[in-house]
Amino acid sequence: MATAPDKPTPPMPTPPPLTGFAGPAATPVPDPFSFDQPRDPEWFKRAVFYEVLVRGFHDSNNDGTGDLRGLMSRLDYLQWLGIDCLWLLPIYASPLRDGGYDISDFTTVLPEFGNVGDFVELVDEAHKRGIRVIADLVINHTSDAHPWFQASRSDPDGPFGDFYVWSDEDTGYPDARIIFVDTEQSNWTFDQVRGQYYWHRFFSHQPDLNYDNPKVQDAILEVLRFWLDLGIDGFRLDAVPYLYEREGTNCENLKETHEYLRRIRSEVDRQYPDRVLLAEANQWPTDVVEYFGDRVLGGDECHMAFHFPLMPRIFMAVRREQRYPISEIMAQTPEIPSGCQWGIFLRNHDELTLEMVTDDERDYMYSEYARDPRMKANIGIRRRLAPLLDNDRNQLELFTALLLSLPGSPVIYYGDEIGMGDNIWLGDRDGVRTPMQWTPDRNAGFSRCDPARLYLPLIMDPMYGYQAINVEAQENNNGSLLFWTRRMIEIRKRHPVFGLGRYEELSSSNPSVLAFVREHPDPGNSQEAADRILCVNNLSRFPQPVELDLRRFKGITPIECMGGVRFPPIGDLTYLLTLPGHGFYWFQLPPVQER
Amino acid sequence: MNLLEHALATWMPAQRWFPGDRIGGDVTVIADTLLAAGDPELRHLIVSVRSGRPAGPPAGPPPARYQVLAGFRRQMPAELAHAVIGTDQRGKTVYDGLHDSELTTVLLRAIAGERADGPLVFTREPDVAIDLTARSLVLSVEQSNTSLVFGDSAILKVFRRLFAGPNPDLEITSALARLGSSDIARPLGSVSSRLDGEPVLLAVLSEFQRGACDGWQLALTSLRDLYARATDRAAEAGGDFAGEAHRLGAATARVHADLARAFGTQTLNPEELAGLAGQMTLKLKEASAEVPALATFADKIATAYAALAEITEPVTVQRIHGDYHLGQVLRSRSGWVLLDFEGEPLVPLDRRRDLAPALRDVAGLLRSFDYAARHLLVGHPDASRLSGTALEWVARNSAAFCEGYAEEHGSDPRDQAILLRALMLDKAVYEVMYEARHRPSWQDIPLDAIAGL
Repeated sequence: MATAPDKPTPPMPTPPPLTGFAGPAATPVPDPFSFDQPRDPEWFKRAVFYEVLVRGFHDSNNDGTGDLRGLMSRLDYLQWLGIDCLWLLPIYASPLRDGGYDISDFTTVLPEFGNVGDFVELVDEAHKRGIRVIADLVINHTSDAHPWFQASRSDPDGPFGDFYVWSDEDTGYPDARIIFVDTEQSNWTFDQVRGQYYWHRFFSHQPDLNYDNPKVQDAILEVLRFWLDLGIDGFRLDAVPYLYEREGTNCENLKETHEYLRRIRSEVDRQYPDRVLLAEANQWPTDVVEYFGDRVLGGDECHMAFHFPLMPRIFMAVRREQRYPISEIMAQTPEIPSGCQWGIFLRNHDELTLEMVTDDERDYMYSEYARDPRMKANIGIRRRLAPLLDNDRNQLELFTALLLSLPGSPVIYYGDEIGMGDNIWLGDRDGVRTPMQWTPDRNAGFSRCDPARLYLPLIMDPMYGYQAINVEAQENNNGSLLFWTRRMIEIRKRHPVFGLGRYEELSSSNPSVLAFVREHPDPGNSQEAADRILCVNNLSRFPQPVELDLRRFKGITPIECMGGVRFPPIGDLTYLLTLPGHGFYWFQLPPVQER
Repeated sequence: MNLLEHALATWMPAQRWFPGDRIGGDVTVIADTLLAAGDPELRHLIVSVRSGRPAGPPAGPPPARYQVLAGFRRQMPAELAHAVIGTDQRGKTVYDGLHDSELTTVLLRAIAGERADGPLVFTREPDVAIDLTARSLVLSVEQSNTSLVFGDSAILKVFRRLFAGPNPDLEITSALARLGSSDIARPLGSVSSRLDGEPVLLAVLSEFQRGACDGWQLALTSLRDLYARATDRAAEAGGDFAGEAHRLGAATARVHADLARAFGTQTLNPEELAGLAGQMTLKLKEASAEVPALATFADKIATAYAALAEITEPVTVQRIHGDYHLGQVLRSRSGWVLLDFEGEPLVPLDRRRDLAPALRDVAGLLRSFDYAARHLLVGHPDASRLSGTALEWVARNSAAFCEGYAEEHGSDPRDQAILLRALMLDKAVYEVMYEARHRPSWQDIPLDAIAGL
């Protein structure tokens, strides 16, 4: 294992050595991420992602708003936690009417966050710690404050006249649904300046770019190159299903959209190997797989896409105390091309999305998880993980274990590793975007500004307030959720099969138990390829017995991953396990020892 | 009795599938077919067991016949120790061969190859593929049969006690499979022989539902959650079952429609309807004589049966499941699958193919909801507080089941209120008698239900 010569001394306390079956220590491998030599084109399949709100992570200049330099100062914490890749929410110049998803200049950093130079430094510092950086990029639309739109509305015949979708009527594309049903009545809005309607799938201040115009296609590619040249490791492409519009369709997932994504991908492959494109397409898995592209080629569009329906199903399965909500969605999830990976998450900056469940189930999720109507937004629930689970440690652990063991690369939302709370009284989706809680001191260690200047108030209730829930308190406590999460991430990283292996659900007679095996499709002879993990999860709050059919692994002695305890060898009979309420086991199934 | 028969006489009463706990009379191997020679060796035995009365006329009840697939080995591996039966005349160890995956593969190959060994006939269903590499595992949950799962694709149900005559399960599943039904486990093959000059089904191989569990277990998951919760409203509990009940109702209706297509329907004329009510009344009289607690409700029940005899709208009858309850359905990853079309176990085989109102199955399942909810409260410290909650759960899921049934079938079972009520009472009367004989502490479950119906 290589050690970087310039590895900084971590200010975090050195974690105590793991006892029992510890295996090799999971020190992150610092990595130069050379531009010319792709060293690990499949890094994203094994990576643990961390979604970070720059605004909310750390404030370096005490203006009350987090910034890139603040984030840089906390990279050691992220390295200590075991994070492989940061996903930054939008960092671009923006009037901030939609959390930065309304970009007014693609090649400028929002001044409150810093400048392009700070960004380059952040990427370099992250790379030194073995951490990659990807960022949100919205390519479907811009802010109405973007100079392209200003030029387009004032000079219809000028060079930007066709950059947006203009029409004399507001009747086109009637089959396209309205996404933000709470605020928008139509996908068309009249512009007084130009005297025409413009098309927008999201807010009316976010006009859609006109991808039928080759100049738009080229301009967006130019934007991608700008950031890739600065060293960024990839993009989460926001709202990709909506790039093109065609009459008589619902204007989602059109073939022209896929053609353009292939063009982006071939450009990335040609000049920037080792980078990743992550599609945000809130669709059923069968539709989302289209965004991976050609299976024969191993995928020729996006490397990754989010598996949206899985997340609400996990919540539902635990609430119903039975595995079928998860089993069903996994059974409906198609194979993905060999070069691709799902991104999975429990919570993120948006609400708990319920578009992917049936009406009955949505009512049920509302009644279960959002007893207060203010907790609902659009078609979802705006809560953080810990309050959604009533701050129940057993459930938090079970959910995290599922996140880290189901197929896909896990994405942790900042603050969920310490069990941060939310503030449902803040507007829109701000309730889950409050400042990161570092210490019990003033402003939670997030900023040294006057508390009144904070971009959002800190969580201060007795259960989730920063005096109770913060990094400092938890990193000094081996029993904390933070330590536990770090330990689980470390185990996951010791077993790349979690990221690379196929998923096979096992039969069991107990409906409350979800058991599955992660293993490499073609074990071969190498040690890594022979790695195999059995995961058994009790979705019920009551203790449960389960009899598993493990004949395939006859003769193997399962080793529990947390403590290294050897369990009885697997024989001809069903394998009996008992699990505590909301308990789970991860077992390594090593190859049979030749006698 | 020879050495093998002596060993069987000790071993059989200790098996879960054997009724009773001892054998008073003779054990005789009446058929012995070699299926695999060598070591291990596999032989198919039909064993006749006489009850304890002295032999010779006048004979007691006819002997019961059981099927044993006997393995023989000189050296027993440790993992088969639990399956040992004893030692035979040759000094070999005899054991239950169904636990030896090296031997069970013989059965799988014989079915795939449509072999005939002596009186045993192995049949494969047309156009099915059987994975011969799969190893078998004995499922440990069964009462009266032994089932082996091969890999994760096929399950072989081996009957233990044998009854001569045509078997309705294979007949029905084959017919429904031909109609393309996805609500049943498709049959893949079978093993049969002859007994007393009649055909006898020995084993059925069918598609295995991976990741499935039975409806009873799933319903209990829902109920445990409900009872442990502060809320007493079934609709608000996390483990709400109504969605599942609704889908189960729809699957049931589809199977009924397929059964009607495959085997036809008839309409009961007034005499036949009166005959149906008459049978129920007869059963009621028998039960009331045996269980005094039932006598208080006898008039009420008799009135319900009398109303049945008076129904003027046509009552359709068809082939049905016959022994339908939550334990007979599996929740698979894609939905519900109905199993075990063998009919009412206490009815003689030749009568199990009789046509009956499809609502008899509906009544059976609705009674099963009631059982699921109430049996958890027997001896429960909070039983009185929770009984209202239990009733609400039953009502909610019964309604969801009927709605699901109606959506698929076109008519709601509850619209035939007189028929449904009579069938549910008839089922409950049977349950009262059963509980009085076997589980007196559960007797109040059906009695309470009768009081409420």
